Amino acid sequence: MPKSKKTHLFDFHKQQNAKIINFAGWDMPFSYDGTLKEHHYVRENAGYFDVSHMGRLKLDYSQITEINELICSELNNIDNTKALYSIFINDNGGSIDDVIFWKFQDELILICNASNTEKIKVHLDSNNITYDDLTESSILIAIQGKNAIDLLSSEFEIPEKFSTMKKNKYTYARTGYTGEDGLEVMCSNEDAEKLMHFLKENDIKPCGLGARDTLRLEASLPLYGFELSDNISPVEAGLKWTITNQNEYKGKEIIETQIQTKKHKSLRKFKIDARQIARTDTLCASNGINGLVTSGNISPILGHPIGFIIFETNPVTDLVEFQIRGNLIEGKLLNKRFLN
Amino acid sequence: MTDTKYLETHEWYKISDNTFTVGISDFAQGELGDIVFITLPEVGQEFKKGDSIVEVEATKTVAEAYAPMDCVITEVNSNLETEPELINNDPVGDGWMVKAEISIMDDSGMSYSEYESFIS
Repeated sequence: MPKSKKTHLFDFHKQQNAKIINFAGWDMPFSYDGTLKEHHYVRENAGYFDVSHMGRLKLDYSQITEINELICSELNNIDNTKALYSIFINDNGGSIDDVIFWKFQDELILICNASNTEKIKVHLDSNNITYDDLTESSILIAIQGKNAIDLLSSEFEIPEKFSTMKKNKYTYARTGYTGEDGLEVMCSNEDAEKLMHFLKENDIKPCGLGARDTLRLEASLPLYGFELSDNISPVEAGLKWTITNQNEYKGKEIIETQIQTKKHKSLRKFKIDARQIARTDTLCASNGINGLVTSGNISPILGHPIGFIIFETNPVTDLVEFQIRGNLIEGKLLNKRFLN
Repeated sequence: MTDTKYLETHEWYKISDNTFTVGISDFAQGELGDIVFITLPEVGQEFKKGDSIVEVEATKTVAEAYAPMDCVITEVNSNLETEPELINNDPVGDGWMVKAEISIMDDSGMSYSEYESFIS
């Protein structure tokens, strides 16, 4: 097995008694004070996550048209101060990765899932798109929470939502993955200490990947490898809103056919009013249509189990039955987000 | 009252006369992460050694606690229904799960020091 990678802040996390797990080849903090506590720090005040394991590639602005041909969203026509969530599409309409672009007038920063960094680099190489890999020379910290923007405003000029900024030593955007407001901040390893000091001074608590997962799930956000994959398209994952690319792009024909025919797999949200959590790979069915749970956990705010299911086709009723350790457990499919 | 003993499946039990109390070890609760739901047996239910008696749902995973010997449940810790976090905070104290009458005595569990080397 290859040696696991460590972010620049690994020793800093150890000093704070982080429980470490291996995630996508990186030794990362799973929790510090406990997943539920950290979940509530973010929902009620603010927390920060070291997400330096995520791939960060600096792209050449001059290749923006070529990059646009690989994703389902329109990167070309948005302002040079915007952040864009989009998906690289394969020839079969499946998702290579879901990513964030930070657009500046002179460059683009592509942030991809840690598990897909190598795959994205190979994909860019094979399409003759050049990049500079910043992943190991920088840190990326997501500061998220109800009060995050207030707390950050003494150190950062706050951009509009889904907008980017470069100020002092920081490159950042008002984006996140928790359902709360906040910034995702990149700086060089040399400047990391200053940022961590600021977070500590302002009592913004460290949070691990455990809370990051319960927060994103509760915020109805997909995780690559679970709700999205090489075999699941953005249409199937309920991410039709990301399909804004009016020009030609890889996989477009299949994506358009899926939209027109509505014949495709379907990702749905569910809740359970019992004490059993339907976890990843739990079999389920809704009126004869089979499905598989992609993610499931408790919603710490709602107090009951929630999750996502990928169905063969879109179910016609909102009742679903899960096979959990030999028992049939009933759940309900939801059309709205878990949290309002 | 005898010493607290441990099983390879990470339960602890403590025998007092013809009954015992059972729960999960501190190591086990740490591995599970935050415990959020617990399904307890009913008083009067009979179990054989190794049967699943309690189901523990945690943020990280699900686990079961197994009967350390043949027994009949005499009491359950109903506080866990509303405060499952008691298991995280005090696994070998307030986080106890059930008490049971011993049907066939089997005190073959590990001592704490044996368990410590088992988990290390």
